[in-house]
Amino acid sequence: MMTSNIDTSEHRHLPGLDLERECCVVPDVASPAGTPVVALVGAPNSGKSTLFNGLTGLRSHTGNWPGTSVEIARGPWKANGVALDLIDLPGAYSLDPISPDEALTRDLLVTDGPGRPDLVVVLADAAHLARSLYLVTQVRELNLRCVVALSMNDVAAARGVTVDADALAASLGCPVVPLDPRRRRGLDRLGDAVATSLADGVPAPRTRPEASDELAREDERFAFIDAAASSATHDSGRARVDWSDRIDRVATHSIGGPIVFLGVMWLVFQATTTVAAPLQDALDGFFSGPVSDAARAGLAALGLGGTWVEGLLVNGLIAGVGMLLTFVPLMAIMFVLLALLEDSGYMARAAVVTDRLMRAIGLPGKAFLPLVVGFGCNVPAVSATRILSNPRQRTLTALLVPFTSCSARLTVYMLLATTFFGRNAGTVVFALYVTSIVFVILVGLALRHTLWRTMGDEPLILDLPPYQRPTLAITATVTWTRLKGFLKTASGIIVATVCAVWLLQSIPAGPGAFGEVPIEGSLYAAMARFVAPIFAPAGFGSWELVSALVVGFVAKEAVLTSWAQTYAIAEGDPGDLGVHLTNSFAAASGGHTLAAVAAFLVFVLAYTPCVATLAAQKREIGLRWTLFGVLINLTVAWLAAVAVFNVASLL
Amino acid sequence: MSGPLTRVLDAFEAGASSLAEVQASTGLSRDVVDASVDHLIRLGRLDARELAMGCPSGGCGGCASGTTEGTAGCGAPGPSSGRHGPALVALTLRRPATA
Repeated sequence: MMTSNIDTSEHRHLPGLDLERECCVVPDVASPAGTPVVALVGAPNSGKSTLFNGLTGLRSHTGNWPGTSVEIARGPWKANGVALDLIDLPGAYSLDPISPDEALTRDLLVTDGPGRPDLVVVLADAAHLARSLYLVTQVRELNLRCVVALSMNDVAAARGVTVDADALAASLGCPVVPLDPRRRRGLDRLGDAVATSLADGVPAPRTRPEASDELAREDERFAFIDAAASSATHDSGRARVDWSDRIDRVATHSIGGPIVFLGVMWLVFQATTTVAAPLQDALDGFFSGPVSDAARAGLAALGLGGTWVEGLLVNGLIAGVGMLLTFVPLMAIMFVLLALLEDSGYMARAAVVTDRLMRAIGLPGKAFLPLVVGFGCNVPAVSATRILSNPRQRTLTALLVPFTSCSARLTVYMLLATTFFGRNAGTVVFALYVTSIVFVILVGLALRHTLWRTMGDEPLILDLPPYQRPTLAITATVTWTRLKGFLKTASGIIVATVCAVWLLQSIPAGPGAFGEVPIEGSLYAAMARFVAPIFAPAGFGSWELVSALVVGFVAKEAVLTSWAQTYAIAEGDPGDLGVHLTNSFAAASGGHTLAAVAAFLVFVLAYTPCVATLAAQKREIGLRWTLFGVLINLTVAWLAAVAVFNVASLL
Repeated sequence: MSGPLTRVLDAFEAGASSLAEVQASTGLSRDVVDASVDHLIRLGRLDARELAMGCPSGGCGGCASGTTEGTAGCGAPGPSSGRHGPALVALTLRRPATA
């Protein structure tokens, strides 16, 4: 940790930075010996170089400071007729160095000796006065002449803030000169102030804070800064309320904020389903039609028609990978919309709304960070629980993460929503995301009031960035990165599960030869049949439907491909998956098709997301809590599915 | 009366959820609150992490998914340098270790 107590008696060096006193004279010095040296300091990117160029014209020299790789500029400056040697020191926020550049600035100012500057000009930003005054305060604690050059006065004025230079000078104990380096205004006044200060003696430095505690010492400096800034700053109260503030009044409002958030997300899902549906249908027709037909024809020509090779290739890989690829337009559109929201700055507002909700119900506010990540993917979200220092909070949050609806689950939502709910598909998907948040809240509250009643909260503050116009390049890059990640992860999972499912579908549960058994008699169907009765109360207790849930335990990306494989083999033709699913749900639910589909969707939302998430949970919270989490997920998912089916069946 | 830094930290402890709330509870100007927060981060009393769906420009150390060692905790090989744009910054208290 850095120290902020400037000690002039002890020359501090950073590793690799060995400054000697004689190095304070750059070899190619432009001014004659004995010329007063003036150092120009200020925060990085504060316009210091612009001011330096304005003062020295084109007569400056730039080079590395001897013994270092730190580049500085030096040049002659005639201030009110007085010839000066001006050094543009590296940008520094303070004299507490965290980089070699800052260390050089500190060493040149702090270390006493013949090469030390005779005067320091500190460039301060009137629009961020308090930030600038920390460096001024530290310089004032040195035995040096100091003049403050106050820039950005126009920016401050636009915000309704004016800075009284005389009042500030009185508080700081050194001259303050308002100027505008870009327009070269006020440079003469700066020259006058510097020449006058040089003619006078070195003023008494400000008394250095003496408290032994670092925070108390810094507090003393900041009390001085606060007093100086308050006495010199006048806020007219007409601070310009820009469009960003106006939007935030609604977007982060305690009641309006959640409504806007829900509205925005509804629009995202509605737009995604509406635009993507025709593209998805076209791709589906392409893979189940021409591509599958061509593969069959090719295999028949090779004498492999009707063999297990055709089963694996056409009904397995082509059906599975084709199913995945039909979701590319949909995922791309949604990633574009989310990237636009993120790049514009709106997502930050949504996070504030979510955080407020978490706190309102007594959950740790900081827990919302990993939960937000979970809506992308649960695996990094579980890892992100490490930011919580309290072990109970960490465990609770890791158990809640699987209830956040990751993008892999979206493929299942989209297929079933577009198949069964038509134009209302977007609303259904939106409702599932809202349900996801409700699950997080309810399960979180249940655990909070049973297992962890004494859990504390950690203070958290969210600092909102300004809104900005989204850029095409950033949106395209973010969209492509996410789409590529989705395809890369999903394709690996799908090829592996397609092969595993095909293998299980080829193994007979009873008499029969490998690869020649009807799927109803396969080990795959037998296993699914064993589990299926559990889901009868939820309206989807058929082995075809439940088998996908078993595969989905491995990864949700594989749910649709396993259905594609199952129905392709069962019907002998990939055909229209939607028709097969409609028949299965209708048969399993006794005619309450939509109720069963809704129950199925809720189950997919709430049960264990994937084995990768379980592995991450085991790593973060241990096996015992991971198994407890699986139990919670399955229990909540089943109860919710049964409730949805039974209630919806009555409607 | 305590100084601005302590007042800002107290506001954090009291549950302020935004810098505007810190400003209201401390009575400090927004400029002084911003400067205090910046300085508390430099002092190591506050932790600032970017919250974004992509990789933060400051690398894994500034990411909610980053490990305590500053490496990727999300399974990615490392931070993407291509991400820019506004990011929500989460500020949290870091209590100094007691001996």
